[in-house]
Amino acid sequence: MAFSKVYESAAAAVSDVRDGATLLIGGTASDDAPAELLAAVLAGGVRGLTGICDFARWDGADGLIELIRAGRVARLVSSNPFPGDDGGDVRRLWESGDLEIELVPQGTLAERLRAGGAGIGGVFVPVGIGTRFAQGKETKVINGTECVLESPLRADVALLRAAAADTMGNLTYRGVQRGWNHTMAASARLTIVQADRVEEAGNIDPELVITPGIFVNRVVQSVMIDGMGG
Amino acid sequence: MAAALSVGEITRRIVREARPGSVVAASGVWADRIRAALPGSLGVWALSDAGLMDGAPLSVADAAAIARGGYIDLAVIEAGQVDRNGSIAGAQSASGLSIPGNAVDLSSGAQRVVALLPNAGRDGVLNLAESLSLPADGVNCVDTVICDVGVINVAGGQFVLTETAPGWTAADLQAMAGVSLSVSPALRRIDLAAPSGDAVSKVYSDGVGAVADLPDGATVFIDGFGGPGGMAHYLLVALRDLGSRGLTIVSNTAGIARVVSFGTPPGRTAIDHSVLIENGQVAKAIASFPVSPSVSRPSEFELAYRRGEVELELVPQGTLAERLRAGGAGVLAFYTPTGAGTLISEGKESRTIDGREYILEYGLRADYAIIRAHRADERGNLVYRGTSRNFNAVMAPAARITVAEVDEIVAAGELNPEEIVTPGVFVQRIVKRPDGFSGYE
Repeated sequence: MAFSKVYESAAAAVSDVRDGATLLIGGTASDDAPAELLAAVLAGGVRGLTGICDFARWDGADGLIELIRAGRVARLVSSNPFPGDDGGDVRRLWESGDLEIELVPQGTLAERLRAGGAGIGGVFVPVGIGTRFAQGKETKVINGTECVLESPLRADVALLRAAAADTMGNLTYRGVQRGWNHTMAASARLTIVQADRVEEAGNIDPELVITPGIFVNRVVQSVMIDGMGG
Repeated sequence: MAAALSVGEITRRIVREARPGSVVAASGVWADRIRAALPGSLGVWALSDAGLMDGAPLSVADAAAIARGGYIDLAVIEAGQVDRNGSIAGAQSASGLSIPGNAVDLSSGAQRVVALLPNAGRDGVLNLAESLSLPADGVNCVDTVICDVGVINVAGGQFVLTETAPGWTAADLQAMAGVSLSVSPALRRIDLAAPSGDAVSKVYSDGVGAVADLPDGATVFIDGFGGPGGMAHYLLVALRDLGSRGLTIVSNTAGIARVVSFGTPPGRTAIDHSVLIENGQVAKAIASFPVSPSVSRPSEFELAYRRGEVELELVPQGTLAERLRAGGAGVLAFYTPTGAGTLISEGKESRTIDGREYILEYGLRADYAIIRAHRADERGNLVYRGTSRNFNAVMAPAARITVAEVDEIVAAGELNPEEIVTPGVFVQRIVKRPDGFSGYE
């Protein structure tokens, strides 16, 4: 039987995610986030998780917000943890002290993840100088520009979404799916992808492959293509 | 009092700030509104925080690189508060936890910042301050405040009212400002007419024309491996014909395709960087593989180096790629483990991070890049073929002027967005490689 990274179910693909794991969560909404993988993590009962993501919830009852509501997430690293006006349950848990939040500007979050995936030990960027995001950090003036040293971010597991994967884990995206999913793919020890279509190796046009399979460990076919509500 | 401007009217006023061909960034619903309101003829690039640029998807890392790399001409940031020195607190600061979103990136990286206060007239509060009481997302960066009752410039530590909405007077705005406003002597009614103008075409009819202003002493990025692929042969010949001298070329190889001869037809030679070197145009190369693999067939660069005519800075291949990527992405320096403890690390800052030794390397930028792609659309979006993606894609964002040589130029919108690797915002000029042009001489 040919080598394949395809798992038969989301539950099987996430079965070894442990208590206390740090998770990267791709996407921001129901069509670009790995809702079925998150549901499987919720069903698996793990606790004390750290979630690294842009938005901590999206409209609808699916996804990371369910893990947060169930008290499984101890810490969030995010640039937009409270979408919407009132911040909902994320804000309530943060205010009650049950959820720790580290805020990171969106571009710096992306760059730290990229550095983590690319073996970079730290980056000097001219972002956030004079704001709370540079406080307590090492700075350096380079060619007359003040920069702050930002550290790389890596995680135990990345839960991602793609439009298509082949059996070797090569990925192609649709629209905004490329945004966080591609940014995170290289930055975890174990990268698990929920793909809306699974192809035999070689069936995706090489010029359309955005994330090479070398960064991807496991692939699961989406059950409901349009997300959990679909 | 008169009604404040509607969301649609505010959007129309914002759009007037966009110059033809420029890059405008915003976030959330405002990004979508601005994109929809921009006249297509203006050729403006609208970037959202979701990583979409005019329908073509980007990774968030690339979208952030565009912001840090200085490519954003105008950032529109919804504000919670703006102070006299142009510092800004983002819109969601009032919700208890001050959320950065992309406001910090845009405040730091954009050439111009417009702070948006869309509910001032409705709420009766302008949210301007002597100094911020909310946490800053950007310091000394706001140029203009656009609100639903007027436009205020922030300059020299002053708020200067320049435009008012219909039915609103300077006194009305002053009454809800909470800080003193100066009134411009040229105070006028807010103008919501659609902006006009056409983006300058990026398409050049010939190679020499596309590089005609490349001066002596310029730094030029040029792709190249051992084979003929990936190199902008037609532009290399154009640069030879142009004759600019004293060039620093940044390249993987500094030209070894000619001596490696992969696939070269008998009796012919491959066009590579050698055409510039033998013409005496190159003063220095920054490269990772500048010598021929064969001792008996030295490259033009090697020969010139032995004669003492050119300088050489050696950079490991991955570090060269990373320095280029950093240069295009507004990363001024980075720590890499590559080369630590070797000759490469001499004279460089090093430090131990998590038990591993790293050295500090700096971003690399150039005046020009001459790159090779397969297809372009008129806006400069590029699609590559095969290995030509290698250094070309990472060089494109790191040069002030990137000139792309392509096999075909199609109308805007005709490329599959999912196939675009280099967004046109990084490409200033496009030239079609003439039909029948050969990469061999």
